[in-house]
Amino acid sequence: MLEIIKPGVLMCIQDLGRYGYRHLGVTQSGVLDPMSMKIANILLGNPPDTAVLEITVGLSQLCFHQPTNFALTGGDLNARLDDGALTPGWRYFARPGQVLSFASSPSALRAYISVEGGFNLHPVMGSDSTDLQAGFGGLEGKALSAADQLSYKTCSEKQSIGALQPPYLNHIRVLPGPHCKHLKHSTEQLLCSQQWQVSADSNRMGMRLNTSSQFSHQVTINSQAVLPGTIQLPPTGAPIVLLNDCQTTGGYPMIAQVISADLRHFAQLAAGAQISFSLTTQTEARQETQKQQNHLNQLRIALTHRDRSFS
Amino acid sequence: MNQELTYLLGEQAVVLDLNCARLDDAQQNRLFALHRHLQQLEIGSDIVVGKTSITLVLRNPTHCNTWQERLLTLWQELSATDFHPTTHTIPVIYGKEAGPDLLPLAAQLDLSPRDIVELHSTPVYQVKFLGFLPGFAYLGTVPQQLQVARLDSPRTQVPAGSVAIAEDLSAIYPSASPGGWRLLGHSSTRLFDAQANSPCLLQPGDNVKFVPQKEGLC
Repeated sequence: MLEIIKPGVLMCIQDLGRYGYRHLGVTQSGVLDPMSMKIANILLGNPPDTAVLEITVGLSQLCFHQPTNFALTGGDLNARLDDGALTPGWRYFARPGQVLSFASSPSALRAYISVEGGFNLHPVMGSDSTDLQAGFGGLEGKALSAADQLSYKTCSEKQSIGALQPPYLNHIRVLPGPHCKHLKHSTEQLLCSQQWQVSADSNRMGMRLNTSSQFSHQVTINSQAVLPGTIQLPPTGAPIVLLNDCQTTGGYPMIAQVISADLRHFAQLAAGAQISFSLTTQTEARQETQKQQNHLNQLRIALTHRDRSFS
Repeated sequence: MNQELTYLLGEQAVVLDLNCARLDDAQQNRLFALHRHLQQLEIGSDIVVGKTSITLVLRNPTHCNTWQERLLTLWQELSATDFHPTTHTIPVIYGKEAGPDLLPLAAQLDLSPRDIVELHSTPVYQVKFLGFLPGFAYLGTVPQQLQVARLDSPRTQVPAGSVAIAEDLSAIYPSASPGGWRLLGHSSTRLFDAQANSPCLLQPGDNVKFVPQKEGLC
């Protein structure tokens, strides 16, 4: 059992998200950084979609009550197991009573923890992800709080091993959005010609950027489906990048769509961070997704061979 | 009339945009027929109807370009009569604690409370789309005489089951939530249950008939 001693700012259970229910108003949820989640699971030999803990900011503590191998991935929030410093992208072994703690970092925002065999959860609508607003999934539909307990099965020690995590960037590639013509500017003019700053008013639903008053407008569109990665431009001229917990439909003009491979970078962007955008093509977007898949496949093959040679 | 069009949203979604301000009843039902048809094909991880559009998120994004054309063809081929909606009867207790905005609204519109109940419960509403909360169905259309703006200041907590109106739409709150719609009554019909096999009672395109209960105004 993994006991939460201190949850910090936000600690919740997420998997790859809930699909097939958007037409009923159910949001996707899921980890903001699927790549980190999959690396953590591959390090442990888990199916890649096994639910993990998403830790935001840090300032948290957890206690392992049974022996297990666990993987730490995502941003470097200065994690420690008792007194020993941990490095993201590595698999470690925890003995009963050992405390995993996170400090914080000015350059990272989210870390992920997976345990061998996964946590014992009850999926809701095909997913273990916590829908924080609707209040279902994860552990009783809530963010984790002190004294919450997650059960998992006892595992024997495996040697510590590390995997390369692709770097986090603050340059984001986008595809053009459908409503620029109503705004009489291109995606490039609206988004790609300046640096943006992440506003403090950001969360798992969306990331607000600073206002660019030259692009304020009065255009509304008929409500239509929005997706994680959709960039809306409300009348104020301050773009919103929709993230995993976003609503299912919206009435603000959609000026761009972040390519799937680059969505993970938003997991680490805190208030005040500078970001920039550039336009890319469908072909390049698909190649980038394929590259990430290749990275994961190579990791899985390498680890299968290594773990076999140890046993 | 504007020509409908399709485009890609990101790498995985294809949008059919009917490119008009609003749909007539026949177009609306044709759009729901398209939604049902696409659901049966099991090619989309999500298929979402908007006010004048449908968005198909494909399981296999390499089929995006093919689906841009297929959506246009299907739209041409299907007709309103291909759609067979389910009709739901929703018992409603109108007024008093169940509908705290009913009396003030009657006064504002210079109507009797019974007029309000009758106006609201006469039409057969259609689920135009769902959003805001899981199972929150936007129901059209509220009779013109009853169309009013949202409250100036939204309530911090609207009870689950509240039957409400805002502009030309009505809705039933599936769960407690903040909200600015005007509350006319209350229904005990369960609209959304995350644990159920079919979690949501109201599906896009379904019909809804409100039936005033004698415990309230009727």
